[in-house]
Amino acid sequence: MAAVQVSEAEKVYIIHGVRDDLRLDGRGCEDYRHMEIETDVVSNTDGSAKIRLGHTDVLVGVKAEIGKPKAMVPDEGYLEFFVDCSANATPEFEGRGGEELGVELSNTLCKVFNNRHSVDLRSLCICPGENCWVLYVDVLLLQCDGNLFDAISIAIKAALFNTRIPKVHISEDEEGVKEIELSDDPYDCMRLNVENVPCIVTLCKIGHRHVVDATLQEKACSVASLLISVTHRGTVTCVRKMGGGSLDPESIFEMTEAGKRVGKALHVPLMELLQKEESLGKKRQKVGFLG
Amino acid sequence: MLKSKTFVKKTRSGGVLKIVREHYLRDDIWCGSEVCKECKDEAPVLQEHACIESDLCSYPHYLIPDTNVLLHQIDILVDPLIRNVIILQTVLQEVRHRSAPVYKRIKDAIHEKEKHFYTFTNEHHRETFIEREQGESANDRNDRAIRVAAKWYTDHLAKKTNGGSLKVVLLTDDRANKEKAEQDGLIVYRCEEYIKSLIGNPELMDRLALQPDDQNEITGSKLLFPEHLPLSRIQSGIKNGMFLQGTFHANRDNYLEGKVFINREGEEINEVLLQGLQNLNRAVHQDVVAVELFPKERWVAPSSVVLQDDSPNDEDADEDETENNVNSSVLKPTGRVVGVIKRNWRPFCGMLSQSMIKEATRHLFTPADRRIPRIRIETRQAANLVGQRIMVAIDGWPKNSRYPNGHFVKNLGSAGDKETETEVLLLEHDVPHQPFSQAVLSFLPQMPWSITEEDLKVRADLRHLCVCSVDPPGCTDIDDTLHCRELENGNLEVGVHIADVSHFIRPGNALDQEAASRGTTVYLCGKRIDMVPELLSSNLCSLRSNVERLAFSCIWEMNHNAEIIKAHFTKSIINSKASLTYAEAQMRIDDSNMNDDITKSLRGLNRLAKILKSRRIAKGALTLSSPEVRFHIDSETHDPIDMQSKELKETNSMVEEFMLLANISVAQKIYDEFSECALLRKHPSPPPSNYDILIKAAKSRDLNILTDSAKALADSLNNATVENFPYFNTLLRILATRCMMQAVYFCSGMDSDFHHYGLASPIYTHFTSPIRRYADIIVHRLLAVAINADSTYPDLMDKHKQTALCNNLNYRHKMAQYAQRASVAFHTQLFFKNKGIINEEGFILFVRKNAIIILIPKFGLEGAVFFDHKDRPSPRLSFDSEIPGVSVPVPESEPEAKKPKLDC
Repeated sequence: MAAVQVSEAEKVYIIHGVRDDLRLDGRGCEDYRHMEIETDVVSNTDGSAKIRLGHTDVLVGVKAEIGKPKAMVPDEGYLEFFVDCSANATPEFEGRGGEELGVELSNTLCKVFNNRHSVDLRSLCICPGENCWVLYVDVLLLQCDGNLFDAISIAIKAALFNTRIPKVHISEDEEGVKEIELSDDPYDCMRLNVENVPCIVTLCKIGHRHVVDATLQEKACSVASLLISVTHRGTVTCVRKMGGGSLDPESIFEMTEAGKRVGKALHVPLMELLQKEESLGKKRQKVGFLG
Repeated sequence: MLKSKTFVKKTRSGGVLKIVREHYLRDDIWCGSEVCKECKDEAPVLQEHACIESDLCSYPHYLIPDTNVLLHQIDILVDPLIRNVIILQTVLQEVRHRSAPVYKRIKDAIHEKEKHFYTFTNEHHRETFIEREQGESANDRNDRAIRVAAKWYTDHLAKKTNGGSLKVVLLTDDRANKEKAEQDGLIVYRCEEYIKSLIGNPELMDRLALQPDDQNEITGSKLLFPEHLPLSRIQSGIKNGMFLQGTFHANRDNYLEGKVFINREGEEINEVLLQGLQNLNRAVHQDVVAVELFPKERWVAPSSVVLQDDSPNDEDADEDETENNVNSSVLKPTGRVVGVIKRNWRPFCGMLSQSMIKEATRHLFTPADRRIPRIRIETRQAANLVGQRIMVAIDGWPKNSRYPNGHFVKNLGSAGDKETETEVLLLEHDVPHQPFSQAVLSFLPQMPWSITEEDLKVRADLRHLCVCSVDPPGCTDIDDTLHCRELENGNLEVGVHIADVSHFIRPGNALDQEAASRGTTVYLCGKRIDMVPELLSSNLCSLRSNVERLAFSCIWEMNHNAEIIKAHFTKSIINSKASLTYAEAQMRIDDSNMNDDITKSLRGLNRLAKILKSRRIAKGALTLSSPEVRFHIDSETHDPIDMQSKELKETNSMVEEFMLLANISVAQKIYDEFSECALLRKHPSPPPSNYDILIKAAKSRDLNILTDSAKALADSLNNATVENFPYFNTLLRILATRCMMQAVYFCSGMDSDFHHYGLASPIYTHFTSPIRRYADIIVHRLLAVAINADSTYPDLMDKHKQTALCNNLNYRHKMAQYAQRASVAFHTQLFFKNKGIINEEGFILFVRKNAIIILIPKFGLEGAVFFDHKDRPSPRLSFDSEIPGVSVPVPESEPEAKKPKLDC
């Protein structure tokens, strides 16, 4: 990930600041940076969202395609993730530089989102054992300024909220041959229930305390971070430790508690915002990429 | 302003795609009216005084038809009376999706200046564009778009004329749409209502297409036909193999029988026989239908009865199913039509058979093509139309009606009139015969034309050679010339020089496209429908004598045994020394007093041709025969005054031999150079069963015809002679011709069988008549590329595009042939019109159960003579399909005494 050079003196300054609940940009330890969300930004996807968190800029598109369900779970659809680390985001991604990070991100996202507790995968089933919807979630990193996981997860939740899957019905003739028929009305579509879709909160251990939504400088002062995915009820669905340093059990417990608190508080305004945006309907002023 | 249109589509592989298109709205789309000063239209289309006199609308008005009105009532809309019509883009697009022919006709009408038809692109107009709303079907949305546009026009014009008299009238036959439009305050009429109100044109009423709800009252409630299945059922049935999809071909001789050719690959059955009205189930010739096969017990042999649907009655008696003599060897799969996938209706030419009830307005129409059923039309001018050739379009075929319902389209002229009949046969054979458009003509070279310095630089100068042409008399499109001279080494140099048409017709321009679409020049009796404009066909490309012309030359060095030592192709400039007819050339050869260069050249050619011919025949080339006749046409009235069978002179075959040689040489050359995209011509060997009629016919005289190979066939035909019956051999050859397959063009990359059966050549193409065949132009281009004389272009090297082109050319050639035959048949009838009864020798070609097919060689005339007659009981006949023959207990009267019915 993008490297910033931080001198020892700066590190000490940051760590001391964090100890006193005062960060470089004036935030408290559990505060997020300013966040902007817009949905329905890419018209040829079935659902999309763009998020800006500080200077981190992420675009997520969801495409629904008909596929074959996995043999283990014939009555469920599934999600696939792909993260594209564009070289625009940071020069390190040039060439194949972003590949490793991309794979790591998409694997994590798959673990967090692709299960029936997060998304109602049954609703994606068209015909058990035969056809189901596969949601291809494509994440494009436009600019990196730390805390990718949180930004991506919020964007995914918004994009899934925005996703409209065309309604299909299955007709069957006497011979038992099934045929998928599409509705001819573009408004006739299915929406996903995103209530239980979690958000990821990444907590960075800095000194003896931890912060959410770390900037690149703060990240440089941290040896380990904990990634926690939290639903709107405050249920933790996934925890993952990142970074080389060690965390003692007590601080893990503390960080989990903090993550639950922050995550729960994150869902409420997010959903409110998304609903409000949708209620505007066609009158909504589109901002797109120029905003 | 940008909007986007979004829709979901199912792909062929079963996936679902979301497609988004950008859609821009503008505010500079003009209304097209002369009245409007605000719209800055430079050449407004719609007139200020738009007057169609009508009882309903006494004020000047513009018409806006909705989609269904346009689709069904196109015949009315293209009438010169209807002017000042606004065609909305919504309507035009929908029409384009639903019916290509109607789309083409409306486009033509829009281009016609006097019609004042204006296309309003309402979908891109800022004020008339509407988005589909939730819960609204696509059709409802389009109807709404039409209403919005009509409303916009109403307001727009009212504003411009300060509430003046100019109004807009919406035409729709949809009740719901009409009600909604009335609520919006629009003036709206049903099409029928409006047309009825037009003052002083009752004729238009006849052209109104019948609406479904009108149709019900026409016929009784008796259901004659089984219901067609819905398309979804048909499609799933075809998928699971319950039904077969194919093109329906009606039998020309028996209206109760037809065949469906299954055009799906990998299907064992490729032909299904349909018998009886119920099983045909309203299929019309050329429709794409779905058929259900009957179990094997019900398979039968095709009947050999000639049946014509000429019952004078409208409501008809039950047809008795033809009982079939079961002959297990020739059983064909049978089936019934369960549904029609695509109708292939076009307007049909024919005659009106007036109803016997005097005041009736419903009459039957008999199409010229016997494969088309009779059509019931409604007209009040029947008395005027009797004896006229008219055109009728089918509107529908309800299941309780014996005949399809249609409407009158246009009167072509009185029957028997030469102009009219020619028009009819051109229309019936789909021969494009309109004059060339301005766009096409614009690509012609500027006159006066002459050979330029540049041409001289890149072409071989062969002007000094003693080149001459040999053609039938009166030929103005000379595309081949020949020369022959002795070389210093004792060998002979033979050259075939073909008009260089590809020099004038450059790939891709309008002229090229028009020629490609026409495919061939059509020669009718006394009329020629050119493939390329006359300036080229009869002047610049015609290799006339004593003018310098561009040519594509194929030059061989041969020894005196006509063996090719060297072949050479080049673009050239020639100057023909003489344009001879076959007879003139023959005279020169025979006249030992003449010893000029031309004559010597001809003699050399003739000698070589004889060697070539004998070699070709030794290889197994077939000499076939077909009864062809020539007319002597009166120069004043253009009526035929005499006719004679075509006779062939030695010189005919001389020219033919060298043309064959050139074609074969060129075919080999282009195939060597472009193995994937050479345009070649093949003649497949016929399946053995095709020869049945020939073998049976020969057997009747105890002769044996071998059909194992072309060579065996040729030899046994040569030996098949009967003493005191010299014409028998010709008859056999005529029959043999009918056993043959059609020769077709194809692209070498798409096929592996190149063999030309009739000519016994492993490879063949057409190179020698580029003025009258488009295939030759393509071959010229290929050859030009092969010898680096011209550049290539993408379509030439695309084998799929070339295959599509070949299909069109094959179709056009077939139709041209049919048209030609029909024209000969018509002129034969003209010839006999005033002749009364003539006695002439005739031969029986085929025997059917209730008729014999007779050929009169002198006139090349073929027709069916029926045994049973309306006023005479049919003689007791026993029919044996094996021989085939009919035993007649009592000798019949001379068949020739009756005027045979002609097969038009």
